[in-house]
Amino acid sequence: MKHFFFSLLFLSLTTLSPLWALHENEITSFMQKNMDEATSILRDNKLKKDQKAEKLFSIFDSVFDYSLMSKLAVGGRHWETLSPQKQKEFSQVFEQTLKTSYMEKLDLYTDEKLEIVKLEKIKETRIYLTTHLAKNKEVYEIIYKFYKDSNNNWLIYDVDVLGVSIIQTYRTQFADFLAKDTINNLIIKLKNKDS
Amino acid sequence: MRIIFILLLALNFLLAADYPEAPSYMSTSSLGNDDFEKEFTNQKEANIIDPLSGYNTIMTTINDKFYEYLLKPTAQGYASIVPENTRTGISNFFDNLLFPIRFVNNLLQLKFQNSVDELERFVINSTIGVVGFVDVAYDSFNLKAHDEDFGQTLGFYGVGSGFHVVLPLFGSSNLRDIAGIFTDAWINPLNYITARDVNLLKNSEQSLYVTGFYTINRTSLRIEEYDNFKKDAIELYPYLRSFYEARRTKLISE
Repeated sequence: MKHFFFSLLFLSLTTLSPLWALHENEITSFMQKNMDEATSILRDNKLKKDQKAEKLFSIFDSVFDYSLMSKLAVGGRHWETLSPQKQKEFSQVFEQTLKTSYMEKLDLYTDEKLEIVKLEKIKETRIYLTTHLAKNKEVYEIIYKFYKDSNNNWLIYDVDVLGVSIIQTYRTQFADFLAKDTINNLIIKLKNKDS
Repeated sequence: MRIIFILLLALNFLLAADYPEAPSYMSTSSLGNDDFEKEFTNQKEANIIDPLSGYNTIMTTINDKFYEYLLKPTAQGYASIVPENTRTGISNFFDNLLFPIRFVNNLLQLKFQNSVDELERFVINSTIGVVGFVDVAYDSFNLKAHDEDFGQTLGFYGVGSGFHVVLPLFGSSNLRDIAGIFTDAWINPLNYITARDVNLLKNSEQSLYVTGFYTINRTSLRIEEYDNFKKDAIELYPYLRSFYEARRTKLISE
């Protein structure tokens, strides 16, 4: 019995520890399952907005690489000049910015339909997953951009909405801001926006 | 007027050449084999030439103030009196009226099926759809509108965007799309143009009122979306510019 228990523990540790590791052939099914789950959370009228957001983030957090997104938004050259603590501080604030922006979008959600359209392997380390969000007459295209990290795990580093890259939009604004101001002030500005 | 248009277009062709690639130092090696930096700096937006940035920033602020203090409150007041389905009906009516722009530009881009769809939509909605108020073509025949303008047509034939220009009232644009606006204006039924043989409206004063009403009605249906969209801005001008240029490139590619 003891043996059985330990082997079970061992088995669960080995299989569950890379819980968030997403492999190439699982991307579509993983995203489909999560989008379905997300839709049912969004349609649940008993949940408040922040409860919904919390549930949604717990689903999607594991596939978003927020620190890479922060680095790309600031731009590699500028990023290199920051101390590791600053980088960490910025990443935390920027993650919150992205989440706040997402939460605000929830207000606009009514009963749109979400569906996966196609998965394209752009190159060895990039996969684009195209999804459609249908609202009334209009169809909005949302592309999730995945990259393969050194552990063969696929993570999202950018999202295109209607052909507009979210990270690129931030990157342009941050470049403009940092050309005349400091990273500390940018962090303050983002913090004020989130609160 | 025509000379300005030709000059703009010529200038535009000059600028249409591809921007030079980002210098090699932009791509840092710290990300290992992954050339993320290249992916983001090689996009045209990153190397955008923006000679008017000073003027554009000011004009963006003026337009924003105009929206916040005049257009938005007017549209909100209007929305509180007129029910939403009536406003949607009015919006459908105007969209139906603007059919020539979509029809011609689809045709110019050799999107023949789209032009046929547009023609069918116009005939169906103008008749069964009570002069355009009801979008029967979509509701019953699943025929969707195919938005195309002359800026997109120019882009379709390879004309580059040229630099970014923020227009008074119109907002974000660029040299190519300004040329597009002038051209589309010719076939816009809401305009009054003396040189044109047929005019729906009697004079430019009428045209101004009708266009104003069209804008207020249109805005009233989008206030929430726009406010939400604007909330994401950290620096309004680069935000709108980045969004506009990327969005237009995408629309042209479709």
